[in-house]
Amino acid sequence: MTSVDPITFSIIRHRLFRVVEEAVITLKHVSGSAITNEGHDLMVSLYRADGSLLMGGVGFLHHLTSAAEACQSIVRRFGEDIEEGDIFLLNDPFTAALHTSDVYLVSPIHHAGRLVAWSACFVHVFDIGAMNPGGFAPDAQDIFSEGFSSPGIKIVSRGKLRQDVWETILNMVRGPEMVALDLRSMIACNNVARERMLALIDKYGFATVDSVCAALIDRSEAQLRARLLELPDGQWQSRQYLTAKNKDYKVVLTMIKKGDTLTFDFTGSSPQSEHGVNCTKWAALGGLFAPLFPLLCYDIVWNDGVIRPITMIAPEGTIVNCTRPAPVSVATVGAIQSVNNAACATIGKMLSASERFADEATAVWHANHFAIFMFGRNQRGGLSIGILTETFAGAGGARTFADGVDVGGEIPNPISRMANVETIEATFPVRYLFRRRLEDSGGAGKFRGGLGCEMAIVPHDAPDGGIHYVLSGKGAAFPMSDGLGGGMPGGTNDYIWVHADLDSNDLFPDTLSSFAGEKEPISWGVFPLMGRDGLYVRWNGGGGVGDPFMRDPDKVATDVLDGVVSRGAARDVFGVVLDEGRPDRAATDELRKSLRIGRLAGRAAE
Amino acid sequence: MTMRRVSETLCIDKENIFCRGCDAPIGAAGVAWKAGVAVRVTPLDQLRGMGAGISNKAVLREFSCPHCGCLLDTEVALPEDPFLDDIVVP
Amino acid sequence: MSRPFYVATDVGGTCTDTIVFAPGRPVILGKALSTPPDFANGVLDSIGSAAASMRCSLEELLRQTSLFVHGSTVVDNTILTRSGAKVGLITTRGFEDTIRITRGAYGRWGGLTEEALKHPVKTERPPPLVAPDCIRGVAERTDYKGAILQELDEEATGEALRALIGDKKVDAIAVAFLWSFYNADNERKVRKILQRIAPEVYCSLSSDIAPVPGEYERTSTTIINAYAGRVAKTYIASLEKLLAEAGYDGPLMVMQGYGGLLPAAEAAERSIGMLECGPAAGVIGSRALGKVLGDKDVIATDMGGTTFKVSVIQDGEIEYAREPLVDRFHYTQPKIEVVSIGAGGGSIISLEPGTNAPRVGPRSAGARPGPVCYGLGGEEPTLTDVFMLIGYMDPKVFLGGAMTLDHAAAYASFEAKIARPMGLSVEEAAVGVYRVAAAQIGDLIHQITVERGLDPRDFVLHSFGGSCGMLAAMFGAELNVKRIVVPYTASVNCAFGLVSADIVHEYSTTKVLPLPVSPDTVNAVYEPMIEKALAQLAKESFSGDKVQLEWSVDLRYARQVHELTTPVKASTPLDAAGMRRLVSDFEALYERKYGEGSAYREAGIEMTQFRLTARGLMQRPKLEALEPGGVDPAAARTGTRRIFVSAANGMAEGTIYDFEKLRPGNVVAGPAVIHTPITTIVIQARQVGRLDGYRNVIIDRVQAA
Repeated sequence: MTSVDPITFSIIRHRLFRVVEEAVITLKHVSGSAITNEGHDLMVSLYRADGSLLMGGVGFLHHLTSAAEACQSIVRRFGEDIEEGDIFLLNDPFTAALHTSDVYLVSPIHHAGRLVAWSACFVHVFDIGAMNPGGFAPDAQDIFSEGFSSPGIKIVSRGKLRQDVWETILNMVRGPEMVALDLRSMIACNNVARERMLALIDKYGFATVDSVCAALIDRSEAQLRARLLELPDGQWQSRQYLTAKNKDYKVVLTMIKKGDTLTFDFTGSSPQSEHGVNCTKWAALGGLFAPLFPLLCYDIVWNDGVIRPITMIAPEGTIVNCTRPAPVSVATVGAIQSVNNAACATIGKMLSASERFADEATAVWHANHFAIFMFGRNQRGGLSIGILTETFAGAGGARTFADGVDVGGEIPNPISRMANVETIEATFPVRYLFRRRLEDSGGAGKFRGGLGCEMAIVPHDAPDGGIHYVLSGKGAAFPMSDGLGGGMPGGTNDYIWVHADLDSNDLFPDTLSSFAGEKEPISWGVFPLMGRDGLYVRWNGGGGVGDPFMRDPDKVATDVLDGVVSRGAARDVFGVVLDEGRPDRAATDELRKSLRIGRLAGRAAE
Repeated sequence: MTMRRVSETLCIDKENIFCRGCDAPIGAAGVAWKAGVAVRVTPLDQLRGMGAGISNKAVLREFSCPHCGCLLDTEVALPEDPFLDDIVVP
Repeated sequence: MSRPFYVATDVGGTCTDTIVFAPGRPVILGKALSTPPDFANGVLDSIGSAAASMRCSLEELLRQTSLFVHGSTVVDNTILTRSGAKVGLITTRGFEDTIRITRGAYGRWGGLTEEALKHPVKTERPPPLVAPDCIRGVAERTDYKGAILQELDEEATGEALRALIGDKKVDAIAVAFLWSFYNADNERKVRKILQRIAPEVYCSLSSDIAPVPGEYERTSTTIINAYAGRVAKTYIASLEKLLAEAGYDGPLMVMQGYGGLLPAAEAAERSIGMLECGPAAGVIGSRALGKVLGDKDVIATDMGGTTFKVSVIQDGEIEYAREPLVDRFHYTQPKIEVVSIGAGGGSIISLEPGTNAPRVGPRSAGARPGPVCYGLGGEEPTLTDVFMLIGYMDPKVFLGGAMTLDHAAAYASFEAKIARPMGLSVEEAAVGVYRVAAAQIGDLIHQITVERGLDPRDFVLHSFGGSCGMLAAMFGAELNVKRIVVPYTASVNCAFGLVSADIVHEYSTTKVLPLPVSPDTVNAVYEPMIEKALAQLAKESFSGDKVQLEWSVDLRYARQVHELTTPVKASTPLDAAGMRRLVSDFEALYERKYGEGSAYREAGIEMTQFRLTARGLMQRPKLEALEPGGVDPAAARTGTRRIFVSAANGMAEGTIYDFEKLRPGNVVAGPAVIHTPITTIVIQARQVGRLDGYRNVIIDRVQAA
């Protein structure tokens, strides 16, 4: 291996980042889809010839490692049959993908006839031919109802599109023109990655570029191992509960840090479900790296070097390593999300165990994507299908030095955002009643978790009287944004079908309680939104950090003024007595003292 | 003997684990500590900030220092599930 | 008395630059330090410095000036220093949190660097410009088609306003209701009520300031305008007073962020219009220069002390920003797109622990303490120190000799902090850092062009700003651009842009029209805008052939998010052929920008926004070209010294020239350095620099024999 001077190293490294950036731009440009451009539900990464991760970009971070497995599996499966200009499609969850909707396109990069690298990308395609439109199929009982699925198929052969493969895939999906766009955008993305990578190799020579790649990986490994050595040895546990159609499941994690290695052991997790909340082992691996990259490797290049010190144990047949033909379409907002949260919690605890890294610790963010898909005839008579983008809005977990950021997004996707109300009202025949931060949704603590929101929509100018929506009921039964170090979990999700009381004349209720009608909590299936009925959704807040009785009473007073914390919670949860809005310090001390004694009442340990 | 932080609320030395609120020892270092502290169990549907769909089985466990009542840790659990154990090697 | 002079002054963060146009002679440049927070004082200093080089007094110059054109960073500064008005917001009940929620994490990550994005635990939203307890929702509702579903609750509005003004003591009111850009009735009612209750309070309606869809950005924009409030008005008034006292009583035109001028009275009413007007003027200047030189495709680069800015001019068309930000706040106004990164002359050089790979910036030493060689207290080596260490800057010739650079101090600092840890000689390390800087800038520019579906090889590179001339030949060659132009006015480009601009009023109407659409429908959308525009321009004394109206339409494919502003090239009002041409132009533009096969045509095409750019054409002062002399630059040659030569992969001998002694037509062969009183221009080996009639330096590749 050639040794590379720091200047050339610096230039080539910078350029590798740009290769990924330019490929991402191409992906977004060519697709033009809302989920890719607005939700940033995408990923583009570069891999070395052996399929190990070279440079991972921003987007949904779960995919970095599973796309690596996708490359490696193509290498194994196709062997000699991999030629310059080929592009492979892979979306089988039992091979590497997260669920069938997240389609990988993987391309070998050849220089002077030799395989030197791979590029891979994914988008959540418009539809994949599952039982329900949009890709989440909560009623599927096995993978066979979850749409088109391939363990690896050549879609472009030596630069030429394979019409037979193209037409077969499009034959099986709804909205084939939109899926065609998704696929074309991924083809273009990979082409750009290849061109730019080859330009880089042409300029500096394969030996030098490859040396830099190897050095980058070794360096990341060295940096992570060094950081792990600075953290205490130990084990930390977390547990996430999830519900699918009235059955409860759990993901249990014991994270063990020893020396410069970190093991994620999911032993004790529930056996796999008959509903699509399961995930495969590749998805679980991706799920744990999604928080690991930004929490532990914020200043380290995300590549195979970061993966080397990490081990995962996920017993076969569990909800985090389900066996074929288990259904997995809801994985990304089911088990994978639970893995994200569990890993975020244990990593947070480990960081919090170190004086040096305590300010990198965080309680769990935005534990739950509720992923509601709406579909129906819109105001102009056409068909609209789309996701309620509020699922991307999230809420930040508290830190050890500050509150969580209200509606602050999520850890697995650093650049998420939701659409404007006006964008949704223009595309779907609905009208929002309100959309606001939700009081008391942030986990209490010395530092509180970020707030989630509540919102409600009713039909408006719908030719069919309304629309339908698909619900996978996530995050309503169990709080998933765990608190840290005595902090409380963030509030849960809720999905309520308001059966409007037609005797009421109020068309503009601005709270759930003032919306007249029967309020039916719902969770799983396809539901109508018709007439004057409403759909109310509230989403989770972030977890808190530290004992709520340690929160500065002035902050609590401000929280109450600002509609962040209710007066009742100020008293019961934070132990703060307010007198005309200002904290009565003496009374607060007294109250907190007595409430602390109250904690000691339940003495018996198990 | 120097005390080392092991969480927002606990620290250890070679032998014991201590509440950072009052410095009282609450157990031995290097083993699970929750057995030695006060536990209060509250059904989740009695907690503020939870939604209408909240499980009626799950609980919030609050682990507090038996000497000063400082809250040391929390857990969401189904009653039949064991405590989560966090152990830092001393 | 005759008034032959045009004066243009641009107030930037650090420097206030002036250009004076006098007929029959080359332009005169002036420069002074900016004087925040009372920027107007620096304006007179700057004009004074130009007057001095004309050997006349400030008053003499101003008394003979017929037009004064101005751009200023005063509004940007208000936002950056958080010194604006106390704002109250009135908004639709149920949506009071729009400006707090910021579309989720968007407000948390907007404006952050790539590095910061990967470290979410340490990121926050910027503190908002409107205090949380100064937001009031009132019952009212308009829907997606502009129908009023719920009339404004006027009583509640009155109460809310009284509470905000009386109790919370706000100085300015922003009003932002859902869908107000389709129907402004409810917002206007609020203003009426305010005028009754408290007519002295500044009021900003979202339907006036930013009548485009997207309530978060629209609300944010309205708040920013209310926050900046009367800053523009106060500033312009004080400037007019100072100028009058110094002998100027002619018209004052003020630059806007979209690259057009407004008469002072107009500009005073819309503080938000002045945001980013400096960089906008820079792009206008670049386009004007391109026009003079016959270049329609230009990559304009500007390197100052802290930032490096890039913008792209394509076929003479300037690009508007899609998601503009000021500081870290989103807003929506027509604004020229300028991308910036933290790489400037003052950028601090550091080494990455472990690899010792050098990093340029993003921290900057600014003007104080500045580069080590400035001797003002700077201890960390900067890019400027590197320029000197590789022989590009001459310690004795800086700022025309006005300041001597401390070579020894820079050498010592660089050796200790950079070279020795890298195990290299000072020369080798400095060369390495320079190459890293050039490569990173080149990569950024490449990415920006790719983002637009463009190829740098089709473009001419313009190099503006103090430091750019020392890098442009290097990264320009790397990008393989057609040629590189270092303009005579490089250091005062924004001021040059001011005199190249027209009076421009931008109008737009939001209306979603799926094709097929009859040309009459489109013409009907434009009629009211045209009427308004013509009346406005007539008020400003523009009519007939001094008026130019330009139409452009935003189109998109129905199922895709990307909207493209497409200029209407056919004659207007449109006929059927003109409509067809517009659509086919859109499709061609779309495919070029977003890639082959990127269009899903079968979903149909929609027109979403109709824009009218109304120009009052300004008398443009003629740039005087000097007669070209001979090719031989010998008269300007001052000697040789060792400089970094890329082709030699290290230091080699280069020839040094004094710009003031170069004549139009002279051709300088690289490797060479040309010193001007304010900047330095480097020509690499296998390049030649030719001085044209306007004293611009045009750098070309040497043609292979």
